[in-house]
Amino acid sequence: MDEKGLDLAETVWTRLDRKAGAIVELTVRQLRHRISTWVVLGVGTLLMVLLLAFYIDAVRDSFEPIDNDGDSVDEDSDGYPRGQEMKYGTSDFDSSDFPGVSEYVPESMIGFNEQQRELYGNKTWNGEALFEATWIDTELEGEWWEDRIIDWEEIDDCPDQDSAGSWFPQWGSACEYGDPDGDGLTSYYVRGEWRGEGLATVPEGSFLEWGHYTEPVYIEPDPSEMYIDEDGIDCFDSAGKRVDCPVSDRLGGSHGYDDDGDCYREGWAEGSNDDWFLEYDGDGERYDPDSNRNGIRCDVLWIVDADGNEVVSINADSFVDEDPDDEQYVGELSHRTFIIGVGKMAFVILLGLFIPLFLALGLVRDETENGTLHFLLSKPIHRGEFILYRLLGYLTVSGTYVLTLSLLVGIVTATLGPGDQLFRLTDLPVWLGIGISTIFVLAAYGALFNTMGLISPKYGVYICIIFGVWEFMMGTFSIINPNWAVSSISITHWALQMIDATVLMAWPDTLQWAEMGEAYGIDTGLNFFWHPPVHTFGTQSGAVALLVSSVTLLTVTALMIYIGQSVFSRREIS
Amino acid sequence: MMETQKAPAVLIDQASKWYGQVIGINDVSLAIDGGVTGILGPNGAGKSTLFKLLMGRLKPSQGSVRLFGIDPWTSTSPYRRVGYVSESEKLYEWMTGLDFVTTLARLHGMTREEASNRSSHVLDFVGLSDVMHKELGKYSKGMRQRVKIAHALVHDPELIILDEPLQGCDPIARTSIMSVIRELGNQGKTVLVSSHILEEIERITEQIVILHNGRLLAIGNLHAIRDLLDKHPHRILINCEDPRSLANLFIREEPVFGVRFPRDGLLEIQTNNLSEAHSLLPSIVVESQQAIFSIENPDDNLESLLGYLIGGAQ
Repeated sequence: MDEKGLDLAETVWTRLDRKAGAIVELTVRQLRHRISTWVVLGVGTLLMVLLLAFYIDAVRDSFEPIDNDGDSVDEDSDGYPRGQEMKYGTSDFDSSDFPGVSEYVPESMIGFNEQQRELYGNKTWNGEALFEATWIDTELEGEWWEDRIIDWEEIDDCPDQDSAGSWFPQWGSACEYGDPDGDGLTSYYVRGEWRGEGLATVPEGSFLEWGHYTEPVYIEPDPSEMYIDEDGIDCFDSAGKRVDCPVSDRLGGSHGYDDDGDCYREGWAEGSNDDWFLEYDGDGERYDPDSNRNGIRCDVLWIVDADGNEVVSINADSFVDEDPDDEQYVGELSHRTFIIGVGKMAFVILLGLFIPLFLALGLVRDETENGTLHFLLSKPIHRGEFILYRLLGYLTVSGTYVLTLSLLVGIVTATLGPGDQLFRLTDLPVWLGIGISTIFVLAAYGALFNTMGLISPKYGVYICIIFGVWEFMMGTFSIINPNWAVSSISITHWALQMIDATVLMAWPDTLQWAEMGEAYGIDTGLNFFWHPPVHTFGTQSGAVALLVSSVTLLTVTALMIYIGQSVFSRREIS
Repeated sequence: MMETQKAPAVLIDQASKWYGQVIGINDVSLAIDGGVTGILGPNGAGKSTLFKLLMGRLKPSQGSVRLFGIDPWTSTSPYRRVGYVSESEKLYEWMTGLDFVTTLARLHGMTREEASNRSSHVLDFVGLSDVMHKELGKYSKGMRQRVKIAHALVHDPELIILDEPLQGCDPIARTSIMSVIRELGNQGKTVLVSSHILEEIERITEQIVILHNGRLLAIGNLHAIRDLLDKHPHRILINCEDPRSLANLFIREEPVFGVRFPRDGLLEIQTNNLSEAHSLLPSIVVESQQAIFSIENPDDNLESLLGYLIGGAQ
């Protein structure tokens, strides 16, 4: 009995299988003999070639790196980028002030003395004095705004020679006092800065500081690129050694290292230097190596949300350009954006809609109209079976096409894509996911369009076009905001969700990349094209979302086949 | 199972089918099992409707239709034992004949090899073995009809339904198809073949069903019907050199009751015993010693038969 039962089951199954095989094969061969098939598939291929051309063009175009902390500029055009000037404490707004320039070194001073004092020497003077000059450096001059430096070409006589000290020339000017002691040396009454050799007499209650300029030293200007993309994201390992941050560790807490040194400013230990002007940087801002106030000098503070997988903000101390290499970063982001965008727009929305519109709408309807259906229906085959096998045949053609196309495009982008590896192997699961999502769409639309063609052989195509417009709209909405509930009343929505889920599974760090893009203000469109999948039942798991979405699409497909076969089985064929 | 084995191949019980106001089949009851049966009727008599009811394409508006005891509208299982040649002219033009038959054979659950072997065999049976590797698009009308018959025979069915298989065929194809149908009948299969040409059916079978305006008009042996018809006034048209001298020879004979000359070179003989008149024809022609261009029986067709039957019914 058992053996017989088994035999019977085997016979039924193998017969079904043979019938399915015959109709699938017939459908494939029929589609191959139709021009519209080749036109649609040809246009689809052309679209992909075009998109790939754009991609290849974009890959070859090198990306202009971004200077996130603005220290690569050379505002005063002295050849030294701002970062280098900051390290040397020179100003980037003063072309005469640059690393290695002769620098004023104060020696001593007479400060608001109670009585008149004198000092002889060859110095650079700064303050107020009656100066009996042996030699004056008339060349010393500064920028136009440095009006404390005396311009020796515009010297007037002092107004009253007898009343020295009862009047003061303006700050930054001097007047000629003549030669009161008659030794042949002219005296000047000076307020400001000057250089010269002679006897300085500081009047009671005045201030004079003196010192000398160092010899200028030539310092090689750093190339400005040095201050762009100083580094990747640094971390410190358990031994305290600086390492390139693995992507998985880029979450939460303090990272980073001021590679170019314009935050640390070696030798400028905060508070240890009482030179008042050194506490300010070249721009007149107070030097503050812990502007993010987390108690760690020159670091980057990453703040994550409560569940610890989403970066809320990235806050760097001043002049810590602690972002990933922009070129690599933008390259990676653009690459992913391209894949996701092409997957969603070109594969799911365009190919997913147009292939079934041309190939599936007439799968059964055309047979009826041609009259060839009589041959098929005079065989012991149920009409529902017939619909199912026809759809399988159509899916064999369209599915093979879409899968091949996605893998071919995938191989091209994986070969040309950014990164050190020769071939981006992790791209392939995403492309496979795109291909499979598109096949699910092809199945659902195919079943739906075929059913429409059966319900209304005459107007089915118009219903399908209206439906296609709706799907296109909902698809676009689903890309922009997948959380919008209305868009889930569409087939596209669920297929796009499948892609989102696949991306999350194949590239788990995409969330991270998207957040970083936001945090660093680098807009590559990843945030537009990709959102974490919605239908996860709160698990935020890509696998759950993938399962939910694919089951939904399969259910829609099965329902449409069921409706189609109900309509078709009751239909009289004359 | 035993019951369905015993059930007749075709059993139609008071079946009617109408399309809106138009009647396709009107209260037809019929049981056919074994032998070749000709379904005769002018265009629009309901032959195709009858076949489509049998093939489950249409659902009877009233009454019932059974193939081997099973309702073909709800079940596809009788099709294992049925071969159907529809009147549809369309084929998959890009397929070869062998491909076409093989593909359809596989729908019976045959393996590819089995299907291919069976297909070559039936294509040989219908006389297409030398063209079976050619595309259907290149087939002549007669070949197309024969390939359609081949597909219907590929699973060795017990019941074969042929809708106008001779339509549009040249005489050679016609003869070959007729011999195929006769051979099937000799093999003990039940064959239904429809036509609107009496002469065609006459050359195939004696067992006929006559449909007219959806109704079953007559059922039985063609000869019996034919004999009735022969006693009915008939015309024979002879195209010859000298109709008048020929008329002289005919008018003396007993079955001939009148002659007319409708046109130059044309003689119309009126008779009330067609077969007797025909048996006289050769000797008279020899006697007249003149060239005969053609002989026609304008009343020996379905229309006259129908006219006679309807007249008799009235």
